Amino acid sequence: MSPAQPSDSAPAPIIEFDAVSKSFGSNQVYREMSLSVYPGETLTIIGGSGQGKSVCLKMMIGLLRPDGGDVRFRGESVLDLTAEGLRRLRRRVAYVFQGGALFDSMSVQDNIAYAMREHTKTSEEEMRERARVCLEMVNLPPEILEAMPAQLSGGERKRVALARSIAIEPEVILYDEPTTGLDPKNITRIGRMIVKLQRELKVTSVVVTHDMPTAHKVSNRIAMLYEKRFPFVGTAEQMWNSPVDVVRDFIHGTLRGDNDGA
Amino acid sequence: MKRWIERFGGVILSGLAWIGGATRLAIRTAQVAVKRPIGFRDIAVQLVELGIRSLPISSFLSLFIGMILTWQFGWGLADFGATMALGYASSLALVRELIPTFLAITVGAKMAAGMAAELGSMKVTEQIDAVSTLGADPIKKLVWPRVCGSTLAMPLLVVWGNAVALVGGMLVAEQGYAVPSGYFYETYIDMLAPIDYVASLVKGTIYGLIVGILGCYQGFGTRHGTEAVGVATTETVVATSVCIIVSDFYLTMIFV
Repeated sequence: MSPAQPSDSAPAPIIEFDAVSKSFGSNQVYREMSLSVYPGETLTIIGGSGQGKSVCLKMMIGLLRPDGGDVRFRGESVLDLTAEGLRRLRRRVAYVFQGGALFDSMSVQDNIAYAMREHTKTSEEEMRERARVCLEMVNLPPEILEAMPAQLSGGERKRVALARSIAIEPEVILYDEPTTGLDPKNITRIGRMIVKLQRELKVTSVVVTHDMPTAHKVSNRIAMLYEKRFPFVGTAEQMWNSPVDVVRDFIHGTLRGDNDGA
Repeated sequence: MKRWIERFGGVILSGLAWIGGATRLAIRTAQVAVKRPIGFRDIAVQLVELGIRSLPISSFLSLFIGMILTWQFGWGLADFGATMALGYASSLALVRELIPTFLAITVGAKMAAGMAAELGSMKVTEQIDAVSTLGADPIKKLVWPRVCGSTLAMPLLVVWGNAVALVGGMLVAEQGYAVPSGYFYETYIDMLAPIDYVASLVKGTIYGLIVGILGCYQGFGTRHGTEAVGVATTETVVATSVCIIVSDFYLTMIFV
């Protein structure tokens, strides 16, 4: 397998993993893994369940620390950041959680306005207007501003989570399994949202998924996690045409040497 | 034998790790407490949740504790024809010991279990991580208001509980032992010195602190899945009750 290398003229990476290792107890998730994310691109991370794709996102935003190596945001090590430094990083990098992670005790408006309250001195009226605009961007009506998360459907919750992530205009959006548990219509809808937000807000996106159609639709590049590293990083076309067995097996769902009786 | 020793050692180590973790959380909470904004609104919300909403059950329990203890003492004193000393006999036990400790074990454990369940649910649904990624400090946003709320609410509930227990004692003294309630009140108050009120308040405050720290620590430590929330909640009730009883022993030693 030959990882796609950026050309010499490529801009400096916005996020960079440098020989990162990470273990949870005796379970090693990454071993000297390296990966670069470039400004403005949508990079999708694919790989089997439980291999540590979400761990990669959590290290990008400083929720988890690697055991070895370095994670850099715009050239600055995330590991060296103070609490205030991490706060500033999280002003610039938004995270969309797998289940939405909306705050149950708050209305949709308060969920969307949460980061604005933390980072800015915006008035209540401006926050309400901003929440309305964000909802509009994810094709949700302003009537749900007063609704509680429990009153929303799964697809609506994910879109509100998206609206919350863009409320303070981040440079990077990290999507953790954005389409998991959704019906095909909502999967298509979320895929379109990711493309729309990248195009309209010029954000860099990192999407973790094992949904190949979504990966194909939204990605500029795809990185495949296999055996604690990213042995393949390339465009969707390069991936679909890859002659390498593990890549082909993953995208076609082939069970090679797996005697499960099926 | 070797396996038994290993298992025993494992229990000791995990116990020490648990105490260390709870202490670290208490220190972190004290550190964020001085940082602005103080978070008065969040603290007020917790005071209402933990304090005001616990008033009915606290009143009910305190009334019955007062009545039961007075009835018990009356039964014993009646043998010596000394029922008029009922106020003297019951006041110290109620104010210094029974009301603060009983309320902490019942209402306090309820508060801690509620915190563990709420924060545990937030943990398994990644809401605590979401607080971090949105630029806030989960200790400041979630732990500090709860610890502050329980530490303020518990002594206030104890003060209220003492008053209600006195009323319960007066009812039983008058109806059960023909001791005039005014006389019971006077002898009850006469027996108490300022240090007894202080002991009651200090116990309430420390129990409130224990309740807040343990409830939050157990909630933050919840593992994966909804089943883990149930486990964390149950463990919180046990841990809180044990810690309150142990701290009661030392606090009683200090104030005797």
